[in-house]
Amino acid sequence: MRKLESSLNTVLKDKNVKSIMLELNTESYFETNIKTIKILQKKGFGGVVYVSIQRPFKNISSTLKKQRISIKNMLFIDVASAVSNEAREKYKECVHISPKLDVDELIKAIYASAEKIKGKKFIFIDSLTTFALYKPISETLRFTEFLMQLVKGEKNTVLILNVAKDLSQKKFIQNVIVHADKIIEVKT
Amino acid sequence: MIDLAKFTKELSNCLEGGIVLVETSASKILEVHLEAVKWLSKQKYTQIILSTTRPCKNLLELYQKNNIDTDKLIILCTCCKEKNNTKQEKNNIIHIKNNSSLLEITFSLGECIKLIKAKKTIFIDSINTLLIHNEPNSLAKFIHSVLTKMRLNNVSGLLISLDLKMDKEIRAEIAQLCDRVIRV
Repeated sequence: MRKLESSLNTVLKDKNVKSIMLELNTESYFETNIKTIKILQKKGFGGVVYVSIQRPFKNISSTLKKQRISIKNMLFIDVASAVSNEAREKYKECVHISPKLDVDELIKAIYASAEKIKGKKFIFIDSLTTFALYKPISETLRFTEFLMQLVKGEKNTVLILNVAKDLSQKKFIQNVIVHADKIIEVKT
Repeated sequence: MIDLAKFTKELSNCLEGGIVLVETSASKILEVHLEAVKWLSKQKYTQIILSTTRPCKNLLELYQKNNIDTDKLIILCTCCKEKNNTKQEKNNIIHIKNNSSLLEITFSLGECIKLIKAKKTIFIDSINTLLIHNEPNSLAKFIHSVLTKMRLNNVSGLLISLDLKMDKEIRAEIAQLCDRVIRV
């Protein structure tokens, strides 16, 4: 945790760094996701737009609560339930999207959610490669490019993109890496 | 021989409500399967077993030989080709057309989840066999969808794969979706 924390501390000292890609070990992927949220909240990034592609909202919110992470200032966009065609239960912290996973609709949902959260915040994409299972590479790249542009114009917002280390050599991930401000290889 | 104490300790540490990927070798995979089913049975889980390599009849015989209570088991069998047999040998066996019928498997798993009210687990044996019969991208989407269903319904899960036999990328894609990876 200290390594990830010190890396994030160093990176975030530079105010020009707006988009960060984290390369994570598959064995501790979700654990590292949670650590990242804890570290960023500790650094004053109280608001979170969590784009949950891997897990449904119900599972994430209960795990975060178990870890004593408050979700009061968090909004979740539940992509996992949408793409799996699961029933969409209503929760005030959860934004549902349609099962076809339209990039424009997702972008609008992220933008609207970010607008609702005041103060320092971050947009958290839990897995780019899981997203790419459902969309062509061109759409995945359009999605990340939009997010990078969005945070560039925002003083108080940082973008965190997560990817499994063993998948970071994929060509499209390399294309994202070129445009991200910083890459952190998380060692656990 | 597997280190049984270590294996069951790891299972008890992370299986409750979690999803575990168990990686093992070809020589140990049957032993891992039987010990896992035995342990889950002792923990009073109702088990939904997706068997992609061994026909259900053979599996039931193995369970009986190993004193495993088969009353709380449902086997989804993709490999015994008895889908069209009108005479089914037991109520707790669901025949699936074949290993490529991912939609049928998803539907049957969903039905089992709905029907069983008790503490339950889904056991997939094995990822490698499914990978022989399906495109990696389709299989990853299938696993993602099944795992989402399980998480929404608080179902524990065990996925078995052969270590070093799986493509690095598909392994990473699946492993990152699990709560824990255990090597036996």
